[in-house]
Amino acid sequence: MPSVCFYFQVHQPFRLKHYDCFKIGHDHAYEDEAKNKEILDRVAEKCYLPANRLLLELIEQHRGKFKIAYSISGTALEQMEKYRPDVLHSFQDLARSGCVEFLSETYYHSLSFLYSKDEFIRQVGMHREKILTLFRQSPVVFRNTELIYNNEIANFISAMGFKGIICEGLDHVLGYRSPNFLYHPPMNKTFKSLLKNYKLSDDIAFRFSDKNWSEWPLTAPKFAHWVHQTAGNGDTINLFMDYETFGEHQWPETGIFDFLSHLPAEIFKHPDFDFKTPSEVIASYKARGEYDVHHLSSWADLERDLSAWLGNSLQHDAMERIYHLEKRIKDTNDPEMVDTWAKLLTSDHFYYMSTKYWNDGDVHKYFSHYNTPYDAYINFMNVVTDLEHVLEVRFGEGPEEPASREKPTIALSTPLQVQNSASSRRHPVL
Amino acid sequence: MRVLMLGWEFPPMFSGGLGVATYGIVKSLRHKAEIKLIIPSHTGSGDLPDVHIIGLNKITGTGRGSETTSTYEDLAEEVHRIPLTLSPYHHINEAILKNKLDRFDISSEESRSFGLVNDLFTDNEVYGANILKKIALYTELAAQLAKDGDYDVIHAHDWITFSAGIRIKKMSGKPLILHVHSLETDRGGESCRNEIYDLEKEAMMTADRIFAVSHFTKDQIVQHYLIDPERINVVHNGIDPAEMPRTTHALRDKLVVFLGRLTHQKGPEFLLETAEKVARVYPRVKFVVAGTGDQFAHVLESSAYKKMGNKFIFAGFLSKSGVNDLLSMADVYFMPSVSEPFGITALEAAQHGVPSVLSKQSGASEVISASLTADFWDTDKYANYIYALLKYNTLKDEISAHAKAGLDKVTWDHAAQKMWEGYQETLNTKKTNTQH
Repeated sequence: MPSVCFYFQVHQPFRLKHYDCFKIGHDHAYEDEAKNKEILDRVAEKCYLPANRLLLELIEQHRGKFKIAYSISGTALEQMEKYRPDVLHSFQDLARSGCVEFLSETYYHSLSFLYSKDEFIRQVGMHREKILTLFRQSPVVFRNTELIYNNEIANFISAMGFKGIICEGLDHVLGYRSPNFLYHPPMNKTFKSLLKNYKLSDDIAFRFSDKNWSEWPLTAPKFAHWVHQTAGNGDTINLFMDYETFGEHQWPETGIFDFLSHLPAEIFKHPDFDFKTPSEVIASYKARGEYDVHHLSSWADLERDLSAWLGNSLQHDAMERIYHLEKRIKDTNDPEMVDTWAKLLTSDHFYYMSTKYWNDGDVHKYFSHYNTPYDAYINFMNVVTDLEHVLEVRFGEGPEEPASREKPTIALSTPLQVQNSASSRRHPVL
Repeated sequence: MRVLMLGWEFPPMFSGGLGVATYGIVKSLRHKAEIKLIIPSHTGSGDLPDVHIIGLNKITGTGRGSETTSTYEDLAEEVHRIPLTLSPYHHINEAILKNKLDRFDISSEESRSFGLVNDLFTDNEVYGANILKKIALYTELAAQLAKDGDYDVIHAHDWITFSAGIRIKKMSGKPLILHVHSLETDRGGESCRNEIYDLEKEAMMTADRIFAVSHFTKDQIVQHYLIDPERINVVHNGIDPAEMPRTTHALRDKLVVFLGRLTHQKGPEFLLETAEKVARVYPRVKFVVAGTGDQFAHVLESSAYKKMGNKFIFAGFLSKSGVNDLLSMADVYFMPSVSEPFGITALEAAQHGVPSVLSKQSGASEVISASLTADFWDTDKYANYIYALLKYNTLKDEISAHAKAGLDKVTWDHAAQKMWEGYQETLNTKKTNTQH
């Protein structure tokens, strides 16, 4: 009995405010609160609220047979708590239905696995706590930031106690094989990898409203028909996509909500098909083969690699610079310092610095509030320079870069200068 | 295709980008078209095969150019300094404007006296105190030289040759194409309305087509001269490919370089303001100012007044090799121009691997996508960019490498192709109009 497995990604970064060189040493608040609230408001109205409402209705309508999964980053959850508790409540309502599974991910939606295993474990733990607190679930399936994946990651996740992992279904690894089965990493037959069926997923996420697409308009019966065609050659059709597909990337006018509302009934027209969450899929089906991925892969762009975040020297430089601070930051034992630092690890900051399709003005530009990748890098680096400065001044750390020694003009602003005594060290500064 | 080209500056005589551009254009265009170039003064060093260059200083001895070819770099050492107060790229003094252009009308009789012609066009100044007299004479002589009608299009570079262009068009009926490298509204400010403006506007109304060196200039022409954008083709300038070695300097400070005439158009006020802001956050910096002009004293005095004297190095007017030396050791190239039709030096900086901070009100920023740009007045943004380039080496390397690589597409051959297309378009339009 084949299953349809939906997983939706929900993520919002803490975007940085305009931070020029004059603010370094004087201004230690980095977030653009107005913009973060504005974007969350917009996405809440266009996507989160209407989509949650519809999905809850569908769950009720199909009396527990329609199931879905979410992965919601810690930074998105924090912003919902702060700016839009109503959105958080609607996710909690979904959690209470018993038909919704929440996946595990890094709290700050980071690439920490690649730079610091300690930080990675810390963030996964933080996220687990948050999901437990808000949704009363302990995730058993992991999804890494942007589906970044290889054998090493899969085995590491397995060793952390997870039962399975979400990843992209890569043609060049699968060869003739279908993504519609569970696979396992080499030498690890008990752990399961769920592969995204990117053709069917992208039909919804990217092509749905494309009038030049030969299949346009895509209707629920047509899509269900494609799904039903897999009968006999697959256990699970994994439809993984950004949640913003519904209402934000594909506007309501395209008919995306109408499509979604009819899809479960159309799928159920074939008696063999059902819906399962990732952990149910893992419990129900066996891994049918080995999925051997050496190079780091992801679900992004045509390349399905890391080039969107680590494709140029600016991105590498910024990434190395921020991770380089890890020990000094953690040695402060100051939760706010650590939180401020960790928010800078969010993958979006590095995505904004991508130059790979810059001149085409495409999807990267759509997701960035900076005019150019250079602006993104400069803003980020100025913030990091200030954070280093705060470390140095407040926590007596020696500067590691000669350039910062020659800045007598940069000093902490008055309110901070009085906090020299050891007793005030834990006083929040940032 | 036969082109009658009317130029003014030509190697080795030039004060700004016009000479560099005219040479680059002729050098590439000669492979596509037969060019007869009329310039006020020709010493022979800018000779190109297949190009008929007529220097009015040698009016008695015109003939085919020699078979030698020289690159711009070979000519560099022969650059003669043109007194800046009289450059066409400098806002012409009111004093000169009081002498109406027509006061200098020269009778044909006079123009046939080669003695006078030679005297006028043989001095070392391509502009000089006799500029208006020179223009009138140039117009007269060019018209006479064009009488044979042995050309398909007339291609005139900037206002100093526009009178000649109009006259030859009226005389021959051949289409006139203006090539705008700079406008009076760039030099004198947006609201500038004077006789040069009138001459430019008259020429634009008369012309069949206009080549503008940038979209920025095209917009200026549409906005300030009220010309139909359909008649304007953008032809960006180019640069000859060259490998420029990096060198080092003995200073411990980093060098931000400003190259150009110190006139209002180049934004010296914003240079000062930016320098002050950068020095506040990055004290180990020096701003090297290469060039002079009517704002020189003001910049010098203001920098001293602001106690910024030690942050500036005034290098004066530099020869081509001096410019190359300076760029080879520069850390940032800074061009805060209020109104910069193109800004060929930004391409030179890119060729030297120097990252640029450019005014958005410039043509160069349209072709160097790997540059940091701000509105000419936004000194906070300029300062933030310069700080970042001085402080974050990875950014400096990334931008300079990309800017350099991007020059592959910014060549004179590319410009020549666009001009050739512009000629064809003009001739076709003309043909269609005649048929109707």
